[in-house]
Amino acid sequence: MYNNALNLLSILILISSFNLIANKRQKAYISTFRVQSILLALVSLLVSVRSMTLNKKFDAVIIIFVLIVVFKVIIIPFVMKRTSEKVEYSIEKDFFISIPISMIICCGLVLLSWYVIYNIEGITNTNAKNYLIYSLSIIMIGLFFMISRKKAIGQIVGFLVIENGMFMAAMLTTEGMPMIVELGLFFDLLTAFLIMGIFVFKINNTFESIDINKLKNLKG
Amino acid sequence: MFFALLAIPALAGGLVWTNKNKIVIHLTNLFGSLSLLVFSIIALIEISKTKVIDSTGIFKDLFYIDSLSGYILFITTLAFFLVSLYSISYFGEELRRKVITLKKLKLYYCLSNAFVLSMILALTTQNMGVLWIAIEATTLASAFLVGFYNNKRAIEAAWKYLIICSVGIAFALLGIILLYYSSTVALPGAKISGLNWKFLIDNASALDPSILKIAFIFILIGFGTKVGFSPMHTWLPDAHSQAPSPVSALLSGVLLNTAMYGIIRVLAIVNKSLGSSRYTGNLLILLGILSIITAAIFVLVQQDYKRILAYSSIEHMGIIAIGLGICTPISIFAALYHTFNHAMTKSMLFLATGNVYLKYHTKKISSIRGLIKTMPVTGVAFVLGVFAITGMPPFGIFMSEFNTVVAAFFSKMYIIAALLLLFLAIIFAGFIKQLSQMFYGRNTNSEIKKGELGIIGPTVLLILLCITIFIGIYIPSPFKSLLDATTNIILGIGGK
Repeated sequence: MYNNALNLLSILILISSFNLIANKRQKAYISTFRVQSILLALVSLLVSVRSMTLNKKFDAVIIIFVLIVVFKVIIIPFVMKRTSEKVEYSIEKDFFISIPISMIICCGLVLLSWYVIYNIEGITNTNAKNYLIYSLSIIMIGLFFMISRKKAIGQIVGFLVIENGMFMAAMLTTEGMPMIVELGLFFDLLTAFLIMGIFVFKINNTFESIDINKLKNLKG
Repeated sequence: MFFALLAIPALAGGLVWTNKNKIVIHLTNLFGSLSLLVFSIIALIEISKTKVIDSTGIFKDLFYIDSLSGYILFITTLAFFLVSLYSISYFGEELRRKVITLKKLKLYYCLSNAFVLSMILALTTQNMGVLWIAIEATTLASAFLVGFYNNKRAIEAAWKYLIICSVGIAFALLGIILLYYSSTVALPGAKISGLNWKFLIDNASALDPSILKIAFIFILIGFGTKVGFSPMHTWLPDAHSQAPSPVSALLSGVLLNTAMYGIIRVLAIVNKSLGSSRYTGNLLILLGILSIITAAIFVLVQQDYKRILAYSSIEHMGIIAIGLGICTPISIFAALYHTFNHAMTKSMLFLATGNVYLKYHTKKISSIRGLIKTMPVTGVAFVLGVFAITGMPPFGIFMSEFNTVVAAFFSKMYIIAALLLLFLAIIFAGFIKQLSQMFYGRNTNSEIKKGELGIIGPTVLLILLCITIFIGIYIPSPFKSLLDATTNIILGIGGK
């Protein structure tokens, strides 16, 4: 039951990252990111509740649940929407590769992650194997999303999706890393998001656009 | 000890905001960096007696310094102290010319202290997760330092640096998760200590080799991005060339070593678990050779002297990787020795470019002529530095490169040795061809007056020059025993 639910949720997270690839507008992919974070929050809630009922003591993963809800579901999407409204000059096509081809590439990435993880003999637990395949796929899709978008905001969303994949891997395969690591990780990534946000404004001010294609001064 | 090492940069970074007098600000930072250096030397003395320094109390198991981390810590604090000293002249001059404001100066000191703080955290922790967090924090602290001048090029470089390094390092986290997974599976009781390096290396033989192999690849790619291995190196030349020179010196001399340290820690665990160094060695040698080839090609076509030095950093990280990959006592000794030599020589060169840039206001090689006549001390230090970095005797880099090649011959890796020698020769030729025109000839720009800027800048260059020559001719015995102890840690020889 528990593993089925987790499996379902992690597959939904994977599907949401496919959905992300299909999004054309900035606002749409920010919303998709929010949906994905809600699903991730559910995963962390499930993991922590189960471990609390099993061990009859407080489990620290619940803190991660609260943090994900507060930051990833509420604050970060809100801030990003505000930012994208401020720096968006005209609605234009924001991707290099057409969506159907992107989809096929992402399927290939999932296959690749499956191939990589499936061949590790040491992971005997099938569930752990599956979770690792899903999270690695999400990370790869996030990476692909980053390189296929031209706007700085798109790159930030890709980074956040990669982050979601890492959290999923940490929570599901090991049932939570040590608390100090989890918390440090979360705040590290939050700072990374903040700094990237500041740089979006800086790029917007100096280049008068957030089109990454204009960042072409440094080569070789 | 740990408290002092972590509190000093935090304090110094905070205190610079409280004062308005620029001399007090400079001195605060200088004093902080000096006391860091002193503490790292105290730590080294303690390690030479007790082998490791552990933390107790609530932070039990979190902090841990042995010879390896003590050694890199020493390089970090030494370079930071010299760079702090140099910053007084560099930013003092920029402040005088109103290129930067006092607020920017404070920002620089605050961020460079945060940068060093995160590196010290990476070096003093033994928890692999915290190590990852600290290395990611170095990117965050230094992103604004790379984009310090806020012009188009600087912001582009900073954005590239931020994105490539954050994403690359995500893979390292995946590797660390796998490492943790393997330790929870093999040793279920060890929930909290399952990420501690000491615990992992003591129980390395119980961990599953197939998981460790894939974890090592992820970690090598992740931290390797930060080290600047080709083909993940693309951020490095941009960041190094656009950052202010003191920051470039810190990035090249210190940051790359810290990231390499992360790889070394994992390397020791994986080698011990697999029982041989074939697997990790092949990967490291492959990346090392690729990096050297990339550097050799790109050095030939650059027009910017700081970019040439940046590509040379990629080359030297490649040499260190090859030394680690061969994995015999001589080669590891050479790699560690090379780490020190490279840190000192490259810091000197980047600081020299700072002086040149302040004088000539350009980074283009073609618009600089007659450097030795215009700035005698900087010019001579720069020329000698170029000879040192390309591996001429009597400098330290020659000795360590020579040892690496010898180690490759001893391990019967003749092709590796031949490739190494060939590309070192190409890089040498490229350096001389590209940079020699800067030093000689006559300065045609009449606005540039002869003479050095201040006395502190050239002094720092001379100190670094003396260190590189001295260490190339003679290795003091405490330094040698430190290197030997570190080599043993990496090879897994010696007591627990």
